[in-house]
Amino acid sequence: MSKHVTEWLNAYLDGELKSSQLQQVEAHLVECQVCREEVESLARLSSLLQEVPAPEFISPERFAAQVNLRLPHRPISIPKSRFVEAGWWMIPVGLLAAWIFISTSFLVSDILSVANNLGLLAGAADWLAFDAANQSYWSATLGQIGVLSGNSLDWAASAEALTRTSLPQITLQVSIALLYLSWMAVWWTRRRRQEHGQLLEG
Amino acid sequence: MTVPAVNETELVTRAQSGDRNAFSELVRIHAQGVMNVIYRMCGDARIAEDAAQETFIQAWLHLSSYRPQTSLRSWLYRIAVNAATDMLRRERRILPNALEDLQLHDPQPGPEALFLQEERTALVKKAILSLPEASRVVLVLREYEGMSYHEIAEALDIPVGTVMSRLNYARKSLKDKLEQKLFAQVEAGHV
Repeated sequence: MSKHVTEWLNAYLDGELKSSQLQQVEAHLVECQVCREEVESLARLSSLLQEVPAPEFISPERFAAQVNLRLPHRPISIPKSRFVEAGWWMIPVGLLAAWIFISTSFLVSDILSVANNLGLLAGAADWLAFDAANQSYWSATLGQIGVLSGNSLDWAASAEALTRTSLPQITLQVSIALLYLSWMAVWWTRRRRQEHGQLLEG
Repeated sequence: MTVPAVNETELVTRAQSGDRNAFSELVRIHAQGVMNVIYRMCGDARIAEDAAQETFIQAWLHLSSYRPQTSLRSWLYRIAVNAATDMLRRERRILPNALEDLQLHDPQPGPEALFLQEERTALVKKAILSLPEASRVVLVLREYEGMSYHEIAEALDIPVGTVMSRLNYARKSLKDKLEQKLFAQVEAGHV
């Protein structure tokens, strides 16, 4: 005898089985008395449940009138204009564009600086060279606070370069990333609220 | 009562714009179903009517969140189930855990069959109320509202597989609770 199909019998009785499962269950029921008795038992239970009557409620018209009297004033939800809705979706697009622009700008700046240092630009991009006074600002600060000594000049030069080039880039990119994550969080919260309303509290 | 889908969509759209008459029409259409569901959940007609009113008030306040992709009935029933749960907690109803508090008594003089029928329905009603809430609501929506598994899953925001397992549990539990008391009576020819 094939394995019992008891787990499918409720769905069979409710007409919820797909055709292949339905054929399988019906074929099994022809052979299996245990499962046939289970189906009959479930059908009897269903009939028994239907014997429990519902009370006489008030008429739907009267009920609707009572509800209407209790309805609070609801702020009329003004449909968001397409412009506002489009603006919402332009935020991540704008952040992405800003990130691309910043990354490209720094990359191009770095390439031009290297090319200029190698003499490939024949001095045309001398404006990329930083003012000597600014170059020494960070080094002077470190010297005043007593950090520099001996070979620390190399360290100071590296720190100078990091502060001037990489740090702003990192700061801008991290800021953009944080803004994007914030937008994602707001979007996810709005979506959850729309899907479930605020009806599933408690 | 089947409501033409186009008509209901139009009523919902007007109600979402603030049309109280349109919303009243929706209330009239779905009142009976909502009250039935809540009554089957909690077993008290007064609680059912109060909770049903609360259901429609909440529906009115949150109508802007309703999306036409789901059926309005499913959406209303979800609110109704929550309203029933909240009302039961507020009323501090203690639902029966065992059926021993209602025994089938010896037949009294008078219409025996009618008495036993009333006893039987009371027993079945208490057995339903003794089910865990999660299984009870699935049973109610299936047996008394005739909703499909997919509609129940949509209303309760659970997978169809969960609907099946809870329904299986509910029916098995009811059979185990009622079989000895009622089916034995049937075999003895008392009903």
